[in-house]
Amino acid sequence: MNRSLIIAAAELRLILRSRLALVGVVTLLLLSAIAAVTSAVQMAETAQARAQAQIETDEQFKAQPNRHPHRMVHYGTYALRPVGPLAAFDPGVDSFTGTVVFLEGHRQNSATFGAARESSDLLRFGQLTPAFVLQTLAPLLLIFLGFATIARERERGSLRALAAHGASARSILGGKAMALGVVALLALAPALVALGWAALRQPHEGGIALLIALAYAGYLAAWVLGIVAVSGIARTSQGALIALIAAWALIVVLVPRAAAGIAGVADPLPSRVDTELAIAADLRRIGDSHNPDDPHFAAFKAETLKKYGVTRTEDLPFNYRGYMAQEGERITSQLFKDYAARADAIRARQSGWLGWAGVLSPALSVRDASMVGAATDLMTHTAFMNAAEAYRFDLVQRLNGLQATAVSGADDAARSKDPLADRRTRISADFWKTMPEFEFNAPSPAARVTVMVPSLLLLGLWIALAFGVLGLAARRMERHGA
Amino acid sequence: MVPITAFRPVWDPPSDLAFAALGNRDIAPAILRVRSLSLEAQLYENESANPELSLAGRFDLVFITIYIAPLVLIALLHDVWSGEREAGRLFMLSSLPRARRRLWTVRIAVRIAGVLAALLIPFAVGAILAGTALPRVLAFGGLITLACLFWSAVILLVARRGASSVVNAATLASIWFALTLVVPAAANLVINASVPVPDGAELARENREFVHGAWDRPREQTMDAFLALYPQHVAGSALPPTFHYKWYFAFQHLGDLHVADQSRAYRDGIAGRAAYARAAGWLLPPAGIAQAMTALAGTDVTAQLEFQQRIRAYHTRLREYYYDYLFSERPFDVSILANVPRFAPADDDDAGAH
Repeated sequence: MNRSLIIAAAELRLILRSRLALVGVVTLLLLSAIAAVTSAVQMAETAQARAQAQIETDEQFKAQPNRHPHRMVHYGTYALRPVGPLAAFDPGVDSFTGTVVFLEGHRQNSATFGAARESSDLLRFGQLTPAFVLQTLAPLLLIFLGFATIARERERGSLRALAAHGASARSILGGKAMALGVVALLALAPALVALGWAALRQPHEGGIALLIALAYAGYLAAWVLGIVAVSGIARTSQGALIALIAAWALIVVLVPRAAAGIAGVADPLPSRVDTELAIAADLRRIGDSHNPDDPHFAAFKAETLKKYGVTRTEDLPFNYRGYMAQEGERITSQLFKDYAARADAIRARQSGWLGWAGVLSPALSVRDASMVGAATDLMTHTAFMNAAEAYRFDLVQRLNGLQATAVSGADDAARSKDPLADRRTRISADFWKTMPEFEFNAPSPAARVTVMVPSLLLLGLWIALAFGVLGLAARRMERHGA
Repeated sequence: MVPITAFRPVWDPPSDLAFAALGNRDIAPAILRVRSLSLEAQLYENESANPELSLAGRFDLVFITIYIAPLVLIALLHDVWSGEREAGRLFMLSSLPRARRRLWTVRIAVRIAGVLAALLIPFAVGAILAGTALPRVLAFGGLITLACLFWSAVILLVARRGASSVVNAATLASIWFALTLVVPAAANLVINASVPVPDGAELARENREFVHGAWDRPREQTMDAFLALYPQHVAGSALPPTFHYKWYFAFQHLGDLHVADQSRAYRDGIAGRAAYARAAGWLLPPAGIAQAMTALAGTDVTAQLEFQQRIRAYHTRLREYYYDYLFSERPFDVSILANVPRFAPADDDDAGAH
């Protein structure tokens, strides 16, 4: 151990004295500082803009004049997805999803307006965020700094000298790993500050921020161990460098894309229009409230009349049109829910492929843990979409309920012929003020931690694997007399 | 559903190169349904893609050409001279007569040709299967070749300087890393910060306010504004005291016009960002070539904007067809629905009527 410390100190001195290494470290620090600051500024602006837009939307809804409640069903409202609590650190899929959903009767709209479709094609080269720096750039810097750490000594023959002074292969490897680990910690620092800053402003996110930091520390630790091990095994530093860059390209660049490509092909998602058409077909089968001869609604009417012991809808104690609108909305919403659940299941399976690909690429695992932790992942977006749909259904049914109870059936029937009746169907604007506002809270930290577990376990596996390779390197070095 | 407000499909068929350059087709809808109501409320609908798959980026030939091929070239060429020197053979090899032509040129050419073949042969097979037009095959193949030659030139320049193989490999990997990962991401940050795009949510809300406000405005106000745009329909513009589609369609269109400036600014903002990105492509060859590939394949952001313009043009044809019917006071008959204009992906190119 003591000897490892001496070796680590010597290696660190070497790194600090090497101009090239210093340039590398400074570049990375600079990049992560830029990423941290710009990402924090940008996400703060976005969060503010979305929160403001939600407030304005709610105010507009409440400020509507006297109207027929069904007009309000079509006027609708908007739900904006709030920015995730730690999005400044890892915006995750935020750019790749729409952020605004228009909520209205009879229809389920998609989330529109997201950064990916509002940016140039450069966006697809990656976004400079603290998470990107740690997942993608930091391992490559560690490779540049560490590939020669042992191979260089072997080439110069100084490795034998070290061994002759009684340094065991384990203490050499350990010392080198410690030195590289210190650099890795340094590389982590700005991103960790960004994470800490975000957590500080939302104390209940502190625990999960710590877990995210640990996941990155584990990810980079696996890289450090792997790099030192490869440097210990390779015959030349050139061989070590080429092997490590190839490994980096595979793990960080190739596997995530290939896995996403395979997942998309293995579990294809029906397009939005396909789904709309399927829902329309189902609706024709089940019941169409706009069709007066529809069998479902004929039966519904007969049942309603029987229940209230009357023979005509005019004699019902409420406006039958509103009551029927509620039944219609119930049917369409059930279909929306069923189809959304199917699509959600497909997307979850697709992401499951990515989860399993973590066996091939720890970059995928750490990305997943980070996004889930920051509540900027698919799960959170899905939860938002489902919350928006639940809110939409509730709001529309409340408005349909107002049509049933606050609008007279006779006026409602006559309104398209009689302008005076039409005026009487416009109920008080005060009703709109009683409607609940949309609110969405990201899944709780505890719920996110549970979802993070598989990725964290995979990262643990990678650390174990890296230790295994390090042990292999130690045995080889002992056998070959270092 | 009332027939004259029925949805009509519009679509953006994949080009014969889309298989090689997927571009933004994973996040932008290839098919939409629009109706003759306010278009601004329909145009921005999204596809229901899985964002976690989009986040990783697409696995296509552009990716292989821009990301993977340069790394393979670096592995093959970084030590073409230094490797021989380190093995102690450089001096001997260089002293051979015509060594430069016989040895280095052939050796380097064979390695580059191998990488090119690995890219171009699968591309050619794909192009045959997709039935790609020959000039487009050549242009796309040319871009692949250009990317490989650019990297080969960079690698050989570095490799000639006489540094050791290790230094060469590290230098080249850093250049690749900067040009392909860091600078494009940084350029995106700068471009997005310097070219603002109006808030889409606000655009949508403004449109809705105007459209729904029409129910509370005097109908004459709506009709006057509409007829100023369509004076040919003045003769048939009389309204019954109750609801009529003439008025309904009128305020829907006025709702689009109400946000026309914002909508144009939104589109111009995105187009402006794309223009800056193309300019940045001249300084960043990998990003430049990647953009040229998706532009050629018609899968880039610009192609998405052009699709939106085709939708606008079709939407104009569609609603004006209905105006002709509604304002002529012709009794309804089936031929009116049978003759509704259909979207034609290639023909609606008269870019945006307003």
